Amino acid sequence: MAKTTTQGITRREFLVRSTVIAGSGFLSIGLPGLIASRDAEAAASTPAFTPAIWFTITPDGITTMHIVKTEMGQHIGTGLAQVIADELEVKWEDVRLDTPLESVENFAVYGLAYTVNSGSVTTEFDRIARAGAAGRIVLVEAGAKLLGAKVADCRAESSRVIDRVSGRSVGYGEILQKVKIDRKFSYPDDLKSIPLKNRSQYKIIGKSLPALDIPAKTNGQAKYGIDVFLPNMAYGALVAPRTRYASKVLSIDDSEARKIPGFIKAVKIDDAMGKCSGWVVAVAEKFPAAMKAAKALKVKWDAGPYANLSSAALLEQYKQLSKDEKAGAPWVLEGDVDRGFGESDKVLELEYTTDMVCHATMEPLNATVQYTNGEWHVHVGTQSTSFARMTLTGYLSQVLKKKPEELKIFVHQYLVGGGFGGKQDYDDILAAAYCVKETGRPVKLIHTRETNFATSFARTPTYHKVKAGIKNGELLAMNQDIVCGWMGARFGVGKKYGSDWLQQDSWDEKKQDIDQWSIGGSDHWYHVKNHRVRAWNHEATTWAVQASALRTVSNSYNIFVVESFMDEVARAAGRDPLEFRLAMLNGKGGNRGIPNTGYKPGTRSDYYMDQLWISLPWAKEGSWVPYESATVGGALRLANCLRVAAGKSGYGSRKLPANTGLGIAVTAAEERQSPTWVAGVAEVTVDPNTGSFTINRLTIAMDPGTVVNPMGAEAQIRGSALWGASQIMSERLTLKNGAFEQTNYHDYVPIRLAQVPEIDVTIIDSGHHPSGVGEPASTVVAPAVANAIFNAVGARVRHMPISPEAVLKAMKQKA
Amino acid sequence: MPTLSINGQSYFTDSPPDTPLMWVIREDLRLTGTKFGCGLGICGSCTVHVNGQPVRSCMVKLGDAEGAVITTIEGLHPSDSHPVQQAWIEAQVPQCGYCQSGQIMQAAALLAVNPSPTNEEIVAHMNGNLCRCATYSLIVGAVQRAAQLMKEGANHG
Repeated sequence: MAKTTTQGITRREFLVRSTVIAGSGFLSIGLPGLIASRDAEAAASTPAFTPAIWFTITPDGITTMHIVKTEMGQHIGTGLAQVIADELEVKWEDVRLDTPLESVENFAVYGLAYTVNSGSVTTEFDRIARAGAAGRIVLVEAGAKLLGAKVADCRAESSRVIDRVSGRSVGYGEILQKVKIDRKFSYPDDLKSIPLKNRSQYKIIGKSLPALDIPAKTNGQAKYGIDVFLPNMAYGALVAPRTRYASKVLSIDDSEARKIPGFIKAVKIDDAMGKCSGWVVAVAEKFPAAMKAAKALKVKWDAGPYANLSSAALLEQYKQLSKDEKAGAPWVLEGDVDRGFGESDKVLELEYTTDMVCHATMEPLNATVQYTNGEWHVHVGTQSTSFARMTLTGYLSQVLKKKPEELKIFVHQYLVGGGFGGKQDYDDILAAAYCVKETGRPVKLIHTRETNFATSFARTPTYHKVKAGIKNGELLAMNQDIVCGWMGARFGVGKKYGSDWLQQDSWDEKKQDIDQWSIGGSDHWYHVKNHRVRAWNHEATTWAVQASALRTVSNSYNIFVVESFMDEVARAAGRDPLEFRLAMLNGKGGNRGIPNTGYKPGTRSDYYMDQLWISLPWAKEGSWVPYESATVGGALRLANCLRVAAGKSGYGSRKLPANTGLGIAVTAAEERQSPTWVAGVAEVTVDPNTGSFTINRLTIAMDPGTVVNPMGAEAQIRGSALWGASQIMSERLTLKNGAFEQTNYHDYVPIRLAQVPEIDVTIIDSGHHPSGVGEPASTVVAPAVANAIFNAVGARVRHMPISPEAVLKAMKQKA
Repeated sequence: MPTLSINGQSYFTDSPPDTPLMWVIREDLRLTGTKFGCGLGICGSCTVHVNGQPVRSCMVKLGDAEGAVITTIEGLHPSDSHPVQQAWIEAQVPQCGYCQSGQIMQAAALLAVNPSPTNEEIVAHMNGNLCRCATYSLIVGAVQRAAQLMKEGANHG
């Protein structure tokens, strides 16, 4: 990587510096650079210098943490600020948050703005804690000088440097006004060598501080992408395309739309990047007129290659694909599975399927784009302002026939009204930008709920064939075959797409592409001597349903399958599902975790987190992100969670009412490299006459390592557990003739308040490296419910979601 | 030109009378705390008070709202410290926050007529408000806490 020089300092030097402007000093921690703020408000209040990358202290003592991660309900700014503030010894009341503008220049400094995989605290904790500590060190040095004290006699507390000999102290603000600071730390070497607090010294980490973003979310002041207004702005409403993907507009008749007051134009979106296929946007002075016009437009489409695809047909095709066993790409390959089956005294082979679901975020997708003074400004709430800019750059360079470097694009981030993986596509931004080109006006494109569903990014349907070889009551061999649409292709993952990003080759001699995003979770933490996972891509699915990542990504279906199957295997082996699991969660072999991971190269997934999380381009060389230490303890920590959850739920000990059962499940989502250890128990009552079931109670035990904000973590766990309940009870997206059938919240049905069970959450703050808390609990609920239904009435449903009809059918099969 | 009374102020809009009130509030008057969620009256994100009643503003026509007393989240309390808002912050209810204006307006309307609701009454009253982050498990407790704060306020009052 070329070293860029700014003010004579290489980018890999990490700076702590104060700059005197108009008589007042600013302390900036991070990289130097003149980053002119493009935000009008910010420009008015901030002098020309920086913001630097992690935080800035101004002479009034206000410390602003620069948060690149997206706020979409996880209160991430508060969490990251707690980590910095603790080491910096800054007064919490003085902490503020801001979000940098995304641009080519800022990308070079702040790195990739991308919020996914429950990874923000996991990947940033160590680095930002050390940045905070570096700030404290220089402030103590400067403060000691002012106080005429020895540095060794001084300590920092609550934004002051205190001399313990004289008892005198000086505030951070005053220090900045009087002392010029100029210290360099190298990145990562100097930064890495700064000692961090041990957990007994934490004052802010581990405290349930109120989230800084919450008050504005109670009084109408919080600003989401949909809340943007620009001068002379027009509105765009989409006409739902004939199919989800790859239809083509043949003709548009706007004769009726032109009668609607305020109608401006019907814009056929240029589909240069294959992302807005079949899209026509009605642009009008106001949104209600745009919606009316969209309805009034008569559009004819060539329905394209997926026009006849439906959910039922997809499943049949998956089954056919899996019959060619040699075509499956081995992804987990431990021991000799076929030999293991041969040596077994009992073999169990079962099929599982899962339906599509979608994000259905409360804030429908929207984007506002403006072209002014030769600059493109995008206003949006997105999981990646960086990818938004890059995607729009690619699109506009084709549409406008310009070189990418000729385009000036800036992405302004807003709050996100629900992400869950559903706000990492940029189709709406492209379409809005094209409307801007066609109308010469800024355009706010808003999806109606109906077009939002029609253009959903679905979690792929899946088909699984799972086989167990049991010998002497033990699981000797396990094979899982998985057929689904691989979402990675849409993000360019795989050699086939000319990219090695997140790419993994299969372990056989064929070295096939594998999209780990679509298979993860099947690489579970049970010690099974002979274990194999094979995967097939059904490529038509990828494109036809625009397969995407949805909260916990592939864990959301694979944990349902693995954990339902473990219960079935335990029964077949004549063992209790709890004891059976605990015996295999022994932390042996590849399930030890580090240190001494134990897995043999060529047997398990080649962990891809490094590729995802090298988020600072300037730091690529010599980057260090020690999040792998989240795996310390390995499967033994998972076993501990399971014991806690089972014990608290009364599993195996409590007497239950009729038709009521407890079911257990575990997960180590999100990735093998960043596991959050979770166990869940569901108590479910089934109505044997109708097959309908009620979740009475969920017991969750989670060990996420160090917990930064316990109250916030518990809220995330509760919400994600209910997300899981919603998935197993009622969420279902189906495809018919290439289009999604569901249109609104009446036929796509998320959980509501009346269905909410009692939830008992235990957070085990084990003090290890932190892992994410916002997603994993969602994955244990579905299998725990399926197992509980079996334990209640003997009905085994091998499909997600579980309908009352399926329960009844399974009860009859049993009888 | 239709005139609306919102949060004690008069507003004018040039939108046609069949326009859903929600779009007028949000996009014409820029009181963006009221959110668009479904457009069918089934998610509750756009809940406002019309003559004291919690209504889905996406289902109310502008022409029918003329002359009514309308309150949005921005006007719920002069210093944003209605007991429901206080309780929501105390319990840290919001996650993404998008549905929360509607949740708060719905809850405030309940407590205005029923200062001591049972848990069952709260669930029945709030069940129409969808929350995709599923902050539900904190909502019943937060409404009860708000009821308590209201009583304390009245006692000190």
